[in-house]
Amino acid sequence: MTALAPAPVTRPTPASGVIEWFAGTDHKSVGVRLGVTAFVFFLAAGVLALLMRSELAEPGMQLVSRNTYNQLFTMHGSLMIYVAITPLALALGTYIVPLQVGAAEILAPRVALVGYWLLLAGGITMCTGFLTTHGAARAGWTAFDPLSDSVNSPGTGMDLWIIGVTLAALGATLVAACVLGTILVRRAPGMTMLRIPVFCWAMLVTCLMVVMSFPVLVVAMALLYVDRHFGGVFEGAGGAVAYQHLFWFYGHPVVYVMFFPFVGAVAEVVATFSRKRFFGYKAIVLSLLVFAAISMSVWAHHMFATGQVKNQYFALTSMLLVLPAGVEYFDMIGTMMGGAILLRTPMLFALGFLIQFLVGGLSGIFVASPPLDYHVHDTFVIVAHFHYTLFAGSVFAFFAAVYYWWPKMTGRMLGEGLGKLQFWVMVIGTNLTFMPMFFLGNDGMVRRIADYTPQTGWQHLNEVATLGSYLIAVSVAIFCVNVFRSLRAGTPAGGDPWEGQTLEWATSSPPPRHNFDRLPPVRSHAPLLDLREERQARGAGAPA
Amino acid sequence: MYDLAVAVSGYLPGEAGVVDTRHQYNHLFDLFVPIGLAVFAIFAGLILFMALRYRRRQRAGGRTEARLAELVYVAVLAGIVALLVTNTFRTEAKVDRVAARPGLAVTVTAAKWNWRFTYPAYGISVVSADIHPSTLVVPTNQTIRFRMTSLDVIHSFYVPGLRFKRDAFPGKATTFDLVFERPRFMGECAEFCGLHHADMRFGVEAMPAPEFRAWVAQTQREQRAAG
Repeated sequence: MTALAPAPVTRPTPASGVIEWFAGTDHKSVGVRLGVTAFVFFLAAGVLALLMRSELAEPGMQLVSRNTYNQLFTMHGSLMIYVAITPLALALGTYIVPLQVGAAEILAPRVALVGYWLLLAGGITMCTGFLTTHGAARAGWTAFDPLSDSVNSPGTGMDLWIIGVTLAALGATLVAACVLGTILVRRAPGMTMLRIPVFCWAMLVTCLMVVMSFPVLVVAMALLYVDRHFGGVFEGAGGAVAYQHLFWFYGHPVVYVMFFPFVGAVAEVVATFSRKRFFGYKAIVLSLLVFAAISMSVWAHHMFATGQVKNQYFALTSMLLVLPAGVEYFDMIGTMMGGAILLRTPMLFALGFLIQFLVGGLSGIFVASPPLDYHVHDTFVIVAHFHYTLFAGSVFAFFAAVYYWWPKMTGRMLGEGLGKLQFWVMVIGTNLTFMPMFFLGNDGMVRRIADYTPQTGWQHLNEVATLGSYLIAVSVAIFCVNVFRSLRAGTPAGGDPWEGQTLEWATSSPPPRHNFDRLPPVRSHAPLLDLREERQARGAGAPA
Repeated sequence: MYDLAVAVSGYLPGEAGVVDTRHQYNHLFDLFVPIGLAVFAIFAGLILFMALRYRRRQRAGGRTEARLAELVYVAVLAGIVALLVTNTFRTEAKVDRVAARPGLAVTVTAAKWNWRFTYPAYGISVVSADIHPSTLVVPTNQTIRFRMTSLDVIHSFYVPGLRFKRDAFPGKATTFDLVFERPRFMGECAEFCGLHHADMRFGVEAMPAPEFRAWVAQTQREQRAAG
């Protein structure tokens, strides 16, 4: 009965070159592509920011027209949020999560790949607006109705923006679903939910928020598109308020989507470079879950000044976020306490994140109080506040994550000297850029203005902010040089250059196609630390 | 800084009805900002201290759990949050309150990229002339009732000197009360509204009641003469 003999298993030959770049489904290659793509959008959005800062350095219009300026800030915010920071967070999850849970592959890799394509297509679609006759979208990254309707924002740029945002949101949802599923069903034997690393918990709550809130953005964009072309969706004042509710139901959770993964990465970095088990593991897991739950119900704190929402409720929920955020700080400091701290570049960026994010978080409590928000809403205080969370916070933590996991991804180290130089230039640049904005905003400088009069006396602080933004550009350039040098001739990293605690360090750098040849036993959220402690307890350094 | 009675009670001595938004803002500001700065100093200090104190040690020790301390700490945080929330609620109730009998009613109409102030009781209205932004003229120390609407997109009526803004929606009237104590204020549109958003400014001139009446009479004559 040879006919019934099983056919020989045909293994697909590993794709290479162009095919691999477009169609490879390995989570590591999808993660790298997503990360590189998002970083290119990050650089593009950064260039737009530099143009804006240059225009604002002096009163009067010197560099661009008002129309162009409005496109600049719209596209800066849109690129950063939809196709740079959110995908950077998801890229870390795509690459690291399967490794950390000891999986051979991400769940539904082809779905994740489609997610990447959609994100790429979304970003490109948005940018093509610049090539149209009337330019790119210019209704702000929030595209409030009726400003974004066909009467007030005619032109193809706005339509391309809507399509781009929709594609990016769909893509992010798919990638997040795959990462979430990987954590839930692809964990290694022995890895219970309370043994997954802190970064995985952070990604878990992130992805939960993505799959719950991003579809609402897709719906809002679809409605906006229908409204622009056929009318009748967001009619009257009720429609304008309804759009804001839909938008912020996505728009608030997304700021935590751009925050949690980086908190998780910083937790890994702090534990590793304190050479100590993460402090208060269960407390931070609980705090992340509480954080995510509350932050689904704070959206209308963006609408205090509309006079159309129950401000007290949203003020209360927003301020309650102090509790889980406070637990995270407690646990980070507790981890460092008693540790044996190494101030390598990832740790410096992690410390920069922790200290600078305080400014963003504490100013967030300030703006969560409606009578205070009545003054500072839509001023540069808000711009300063969210850049302290997103740039001084998340982007610093992103660099901590890159310096930490780069050796794993490439097998080579990034330079310590250039890394530390980048850190210090970036710290100075960031604070010179965003600290003056608190004072400008408190003095009444509203955001999204292309110009201000000389009588306002805002020029000097604006000059400082512009100078700072150039320093940020220098620091990012240093990073690019560091990357280039590492790729060409970086020091080989080996499997575990940092004495890591989690499973991604138990394989080669970069890991093989299916990640692990064998897995160490998993008895806690820090299995490699367990092994090291066992060896020390046995009193002898066992051969590696 | 202002006197202790205000700080404690939140009320201005001798005022009735609507309160000065600027004093209310300052009251909350003086509560939130010192707490925020103190928290920043404590946490930033602790992080730097840990980073330097435990640097380059041979072996890590220390705890990995301190549940009781963490619970006490969360309780302290909850206490601070309760303080901030209750003060927020009390202050907001005052800021949002509308007077039973306002001193003067003004209708605000926002449109790209201009403001119109209409005084229904006097049958006059103020619009911008050429490149000069329009000026809102009001009597000082009286409750002014604003009824605001927009003709096109969302705008926001913002007087930084009063620490107050409110959005203007098309097809919907927004009502709020303000008191002006000082003679001059700068006003802006705070909600991005398109091409000339940056130029959508207005002035505020507040004057004693007799002067205001004289201004009304003069404006009535002018506007009648102009038809």
